[in-house]
Amino acid sequence: MRPGERATCSGPDPARAELDARVLAWMREPLTEAGSADDARFDALARAVFAFQFAHCEPYRRFCTGRGCTPDTVEHWRAIPAVPAGAFKELALRSFPAAREAHVFRTSGTATERRGALHLDTLALYEASLLPSFRRGVLPELAPGARARLRILAPAPVEAPDSSLSHMFGVALAALGDAGSGFDVRGGAFDAAGLLAALERACAEGVPVALCGTAFAFVHLLDDLAGRGARLALPAGSRAMETGGFKGRSRELPRATLYGGIEDALGVPGEWIVNQYGMTELGSQFYDSVLCRPGEPRRKLGPPWVRVRVIDPETGEDAAPGALGVIRIHDLANTGSVAAIETADLGRTLAGGFEVVGREPGAEARGCSIAADEMLAP
Amino acid sequence: MSARAQVQEALARLREAGAELRARSPAQVHAALADVLDAWRAPDSPWQAELVERLPACTGFSPETVRRGLVLGLAPYSGEALHALVRSELGGPEGLDPRAAASWRGFPVTATVLAGAIPLPAVTAVIAPLALRSPVLVKPSAHDPVTAPLLARALAERMPELGECVAIVDFRRDDAGALDALCEADCVVATGSDATVAAIGARVVSGTRRFVGHGHRFSLALIGDAATSGAEVLRAARGVALDVALWDQLGCLSPVAAYVLGDRRAAERFADALASALTALEHRMPRGRIEPEAAAAIARERAEAEMRAAAGEAVSLRAGPGTSWTVVCEAGAALRPAPLHRFVRVQAVGEAELAAALRGAPLAGVAACAAPGALLLECEASRVCAPGRLQTPPLAWPRGGLGVLTSLARRVSVEIDR
Repeated sequence: MRPGERATCSGPDPARAELDARVLAWMREPLTEAGSADDARFDALARAVFAFQFAHCEPYRRFCTGRGCTPDTVEHWRAIPAVPAGAFKELALRSFPAAREAHVFRTSGTATERRGALHLDTLALYEASLLPSFRRGVLPELAPGARARLRILAPAPVEAPDSSLSHMFGVALAALGDAGSGFDVRGGAFDAAGLLAALERACAEGVPVALCGTAFAFVHLLDDLAGRGARLALPAGSRAMETGGFKGRSRELPRATLYGGIEDALGVPGEWIVNQYGMTELGSQFYDSVLCRPGEPRRKLGPPWVRVRVIDPETGEDAAPGALGVIRIHDLANTGSVAAIETADLGRTLAGGFEVVGREPGAEARGCSIAADEMLAP
Repeated sequence: MSARAQVQEALARLREAGAELRARSPAQVHAALADVLDAWRAPDSPWQAELVERLPACTGFSPETVRRGLVLGLAPYSGEALHALVRSELGGPEGLDPRAAASWRGFPVTATVLAGAIPLPAVTAVIAPLALRSPVLVKPSAHDPVTAPLLARALAERMPELGECVAIVDFRRDDAGALDALCEADCVVATGSDATVAAIGARVVSGTRRFVGHGHRFSLALIGDAATSGAEVLRAARGVALDVALWDQLGCLSPVAAYVLGDRRAAERFADALASALTALEHRMPRGRIEPEAAAAIARERAEAEMRAAAGEAVSLRAGPGTSWTVVCEAGAALRPAPLHRFVRVQAVGEAELAAALRGAPLAGVAACAAPGALLLECEASRVCAPGRLQTPPLAWPRGGLGVLTSLARRVSVEIDR
């Protein structure tokens, strides 16, 4: 299925179709911030999704049973067991028959590394979830029906069919991009000359640009511009959206350095640069609040059909406000897999949203105290 | 004064102090060092008391863990053990006599970069160069700024020249200028991750300089089938639990996994016994505080073990309150992530499979009980002992296969008539 095309919304299971319809209805309403007003609605849907997944995803059912949790004992969505994100590397977590699988998104990784996979029988919820959040996070002022100039520093979905990020950009570009929009990674290579021409055209036309891509792609862009001795002053209102990290890459930059480089080379101020936090295993994404809540503290915001908790790993309960803990996400867009996921990321709650502080250190098979020392040393 | 300047000044001072120290005979120096070691290991040692008082705050270890770790760890560090080490590696104090036809010589200055929170490596890191009459500059680890300065004080009280030959200079890990200055020492010893050790080694200009790196190593327990039932399994499990719990599993001699040479039921029996022993130790010697990152890693590995069990794999989980201790029992020799802080995997394996998995593994130590001798001979550990003894290495333990003293010295042969 190509991004932007209308997706089939349900499998043959009537219970699943009914769940998907309820979630989709929520996604089609005007976007609000997740809050107490939605709690009852979220709780009811989350428990219904849990009951369905408990019944249809055998590994998840065993996992929950092992923890003494069943749909009969869970009285609130907070009690629904969350699977570790790493489980998506070990297991095919499907809540539908394997024969109905229509799409698989895979996490990035090397050829020898085991990669996580999100198995889907429909892209309907995935696509319906991503657009409102993208729009609010990246293009909050875009009028209904209007289109924006999107330049994507990532391959098109046709070139990377198992990349959820490319798919997301494909959907966003089809729905919100204007005629001058497009992808700037082709044939596995960054098309710097093509992008530069597109950016110069936008400058000449005075059209603001939304540059979107992985953090590593921005590093490539900055390196290329530096190599050409080129600096651009993109039209006012231009912005950048970066996501992902530098895993396995050759060059890593602190975020502040990256943002400084984007400001210097492209003329996009730091407060117009948005970080997106997402995972292949999730149907929904989170965006920095800087564009939709200017002047407020930078924090991640998600849509109301998603709940984010920061968990104290010692107790398994909510961490104290502001305290560091593990980010646990309950995403109703994941009706076809498992909705409750414990990420490998650390964060803290912050003013109606949250911030991601870092990823748990890769725990290799090691015994030296050195690991801890190097992690924590000033 | 910048950290770089402090290091340069300390090195210059140490070079001068080294001349004074070398005016003392090796036997005099060894006698003083032996006295200090005996004073540190004495049951009523005020030095130990001070470490017990001060280390928990900076290392995170519980006072009980520090107390027990010091009692057990310092026990083999006797004055007599030092004399025996000098005899075995150098042929006695006379082995340092430059007038001999063949002798050992310490470097004019040794610098050592410490890592981790365990205090005992700091003791050998200071004592060994001094036994060669080589002054030593110490960069303490971020977690233990206590042990090296305290030892310097003890040495100064016993022999002022020794105190003058120890300099402690701390600086940020990313202070390249200070690190470059430290690497101007004639012998540089670095402990750390492989990347850290390689980075420091690359800064040491080769030629007359010596670099000794101690990179990433870990330890294991090997439990033979004969030790998986009856009283034997309890004894073996108590020993492994002690090896794990001491220093909260943060040393290179802390076992991260126990391989049981037997079937799944044997491994489960051992896992049960190990869980009981860790529970008992948690009461007597509670695990210290840990950072959220470490607690998160433990929670994640527990959940992933549960998930693998749910998927039908032969995995079982035993866990204490919070993240205090964890035993994951599973099959196969594959090394899985080790979150440390009293998290042990018990793995049922066959001998051939284990031999293949251990080939080339960077092992520091093996705690073996009823394990086949051939397997032990094949592994690359520099220490093999009974369970419960891993954390009490002798002073002469050749860490990484290197001599404690000879790795820090030059061998000189004189073939002319004098």
